Amino acid sequence: MLPSELLAVWKRKGTICPRYSRFSQDDLAVASSLIEIYDAHVGCKKSRLKEFADEFEDKGFEYRFVRGLAFLLDRRSTFKCDDRINASELRRGIFEASGKLGVPTSQEERKRVVEAVAAELRITDLDVERYLYADLDSELALERFQRLSPIELLKEYNIRLAQTLLFDATEARFTTTDNWQNIFHAVKRLGLIYEIENDDGLWVKISGPSSLFKLTRRYGTSMAKLLPTILVNPNWNFEARILWKYTNEICNFKLESQRDSFLFKTPQPSAVAFDSNVEKDFAQRFEALKSGWLLKREPEPLTAGKQVMIPDFSFERDGVRVYMEIVGFWTNDYLVHKVEKLKNVEASMLVAVDEDLACGKFEGLEKQSQLKLVLFRKRVPLPPVIRFLDEAYRGTRMTQIGLIRSLPIVFTEPVVSYAEFAQRIGLSLEVVKTVLAEMSPSGYVIMPTTMVRKDMLEQVAEKIEEKVDRSGCLPLSAALKVVEDEGIEDATSVLETLGYKIVWHGINVEKAEVTKVEKESRQLSDAGHSQTA
Amino acid sequence: MLHLRFDMGTLLLKGDVGTPYGKWDPRVNSYRIKAAHYRDVLNYLEESGFPLKDEALNLPPVEPLKSTVSLRPYQKEALTRWRGAGMRGILVLPTAAGKTFIALKAIDLLKLQTLIVVPTLDLIDQWKKRVSDSLGLEAGAVGGGENTVRMVTISTYDSAYLQAGTLGNRFMFMIFDEVHHLASPSYMQIAEMYVAPYRMGLTATYERSDERHQLLPRLVGEPVYSAKIEDLAGEYLSPYTYEKVFVELTAEEQQVYDLEMAVFKGYLSKRGITLKSAEDFQKFIMTTGRDKQAREALLARNRAVKVALNSKSKLTHLAEQFRTHRKDKMLIFTLHNDLVYVISRRFLIPAVTYQTPKEERREILERFRNGDYRAIVTSQVLDEGVDVPDASVGFILSGTGSAREYIQRLGRLLRKVEGKRAKLVEIVSRETMEVRTSRRRHKTAAGA
Repeated sequence: MLPSELLAVWKRKGTICPRYSRFSQDDLAVASSLIEIYDAHVGCKKSRLKEFADEFEDKGFEYRFVRGLAFLLDRRSTFKCDDRINASELRRGIFEASGKLGVPTSQEERKRVVEAVAAELRITDLDVERYLYADLDSELALERFQRLSPIELLKEYNIRLAQTLLFDATEARFTTTDNWQNIFHAVKRLGLIYEIENDDGLWVKISGPSSLFKLTRRYGTSMAKLLPTILVNPNWNFEARILWKYTNEICNFKLESQRDSFLFKTPQPSAVAFDSNVEKDFAQRFEALKSGWLLKREPEPLTAGKQVMIPDFSFERDGVRVYMEIVGFWTNDYLVHKVEKLKNVEASMLVAVDEDLACGKFEGLEKQSQLKLVLFRKRVPLPPVIRFLDEAYRGTRMTQIGLIRSLPIVFTEPVVSYAEFAQRIGLSLEVVKTVLAEMSPSGYVIMPTTMVRKDMLEQVAEKIEEKVDRSGCLPLSAALKVVEDEGIEDATSVLETLGYKIVWHGINVEKAEVTKVEKESRQLSDAGHSQTA
Repeated sequence: MLHLRFDMGTLLLKGDVGTPYGKWDPRVNSYRIKAAHYRDVLNYLEESGFPLKDEALNLPPVEPLKSTVSLRPYQKEALTRWRGAGMRGILVLPTAAGKTFIALKAIDLLKLQTLIVVPTLDLIDQWKKRVSDSLGLEAGAVGGGENTVRMVTISTYDSAYLQAGTLGNRFMFMIFDEVHHLASPSYMQIAEMYVAPYRMGLTATYERSDERHQLLPRLVGEPVYSAKIEDLAGEYLSPYTYEKVFVELTAEEQQVYDLEMAVFKGYLSKRGITLKSAEDFQKFIMTTGRDKQAREALLARNRAVKVALNSKSKLTHLAEQFRTHRKDKMLIFTLHNDLVYVISRRFLIPAVTYQTPKEERREILERFRNGDYRAIVTSQVLDEGVDVPDASVGFILSGTGSAREYIQRLGRLLRKVEGKRAKLVEIVSRETMEVRTSRRRHKTAAGA
């Protein structure tokens, strides 16, 4: 973070935003020069380095920006005191002497004191002058400087700027995709309280105990410290309310990964560490199965009453999502807490419990309809997990199918797109496909991505029939056009359903033709049935 | 059964009962109460007859005291008034009038876990010594690298604020030294986040120019006793004289001063800006972030002020003063650290600033007390509280112009020693804006 007097902001109509560096040529030039100066002046005094920085200010660069960069460079530097002569002891000698001889008020008197002390310590008069305050901050010499690139420096500056603004935050909320475990640990460690808001994704609102009574900046520092933990992820939104001390007004501060992530250091996606070997072992064996389920470590938190719970794993397939929590060896308090949390979880969850643990604690949990227990020793067995997943999958499917069936839907449109329909009723595309194929609504023919009304199909058939030449052929492009003109996506499927086959003359699409496979016209209803079979 | 516990600077009351002090906190499904209402909540619940399990406190053990404190009549009176006000309240007494002893007597009276909150690290050491000397007790300390909680513990305002979440339920009595600090927006939360029902505030300068002292009665209690320097000078405080000396800038300095001030004033008149109050000036400073010319003007003004504050003539005059006060113990006050080191180097006298290592600072003060050192030059760090009993002459070379600073600096010299006559000399550059600064501090100090 930066000293608050170096915080530069834009403020307009109730919003506030730090004046980030947007990597302009000027900014890069200043950053690059400062880095070169630090690099080239190892051994120089701190006060000299400051003079260099001052020169940029004199040249008209924003002073807070220049000082902010210098501040960050100082922190990457180590400074050393020239301690060939111990300044503190030298001072003691000098002050004792002036105490004894009286405060010197003329140059001669002063010289006498200095000479006496120099003689006693066997150093020169000049050494006395040079080392008397050699340990003051401004006198320290640059010993080592850890280089970085100008762009890195500016990105570092940007995040520090955002954090410095957050010092004055009264509350904040954020949403993100990963790293939840670390985020919630940090929230707790920093003495913050979270609330879960499920609106447009999972938002976490943070404040502190005293925030209940009044607007306070007390927790701003904690919020600033939390920020980097969130920004490690590729996607995030972060909002805070800033109590701007100079005008005493509340301003909104927003960060959005889409718009702002280029300002900050590119996150290094750290592989999520496994809490235990049991988890690691399970993940490896499960991945090897290629079951079609997407396994994710530490997925998005689930709400468990007023709290959140981050399960160890989530499994996802065709929009069906279930969770698994592995309970290994832990303390009694931990188990009690865990059981309490699990009771409040409403998602479908498999709990793998180490058999050697006192399992009594988990008795009764299974009565919660959504929870299932699996016992294990050393490693979590795969078959019961797969069974649970399959059941969950089928279960969800059945529920969804039942749901669609129960919908009082009468299809009337000539063409029904599955994707649109799925979106309209809020279920996954796969489910919709499966269900519609099973239901096979009367009067419609099922195509891979759409469902077409039979009379529409007949119309298309007639139109194509009209265009077919005497040899029974029609250019493919013309045939496709007829179908597509009716607003049907699955044009080739329609052609095939109508009994046409594509004849290629070379690889040129323009030359391809369609022709009837059989002379006898097929029954459309048969075609429909063959799709559902 | 209701359940009361301490949660990071607040109280949580579990069970479905509201109180006039709590507020429902939907985040944790409990009533949350400001820690400062601890006693009120207990009383309310007791009167209402609700069964309560109180797990709020986490007090260190009480240790036996061996008090040797005896009070002067006015100190007794102050303590009596404070007791009469329910062991809450603020005592306004000049520096060197022995506020500390009243506080120590109050600890002896209550015999409860006590936190003493002080503005500087030096004062932690000083209070520790007083507690040990007068109560025969080793005090704990929080701040400056130490972190031990004992029956009597001393903490800085910063540490008390930052650690309110863990310290707030460990004391029953709080003493705020230099209590005017408590009124700042962040520090006032100390008063709210600690359960201690008994409170005492001490200060020589109750009123704040920002009027925020009006918040203090709610946090600590009303001002219950007040005495001025004139009330006590002679009998309990050293008599003192005050003198203002004007010095001329050197010709060279005057030239620089005039030139820089012309730049500053030229800018103001060009923009039609008038700076009448501190707020005007604050606003002007804010524009310097956006406006390059404004910043140029500000820097020119700062250079001019620096020339006036650090004028060579002042040092020449100081040398003369040193010659006449060879036998006295002297304190030299400046506004900026730069000047402290210039003086320290030129006159070879010890300097105390925020950069002085703690050990060295302790040693300097100790050797000043025992007479090894005759003078100390300091910026603002010694303004408050630190006790240098027989310093008798003070020189103000530069300051902020606040009445508080003046009263505090004067207070450093007033500790009563038989036969001592204190003298405060202010050295001001003539024909500069410093003259106005000096006048301001006296105008406001006269009212205090």
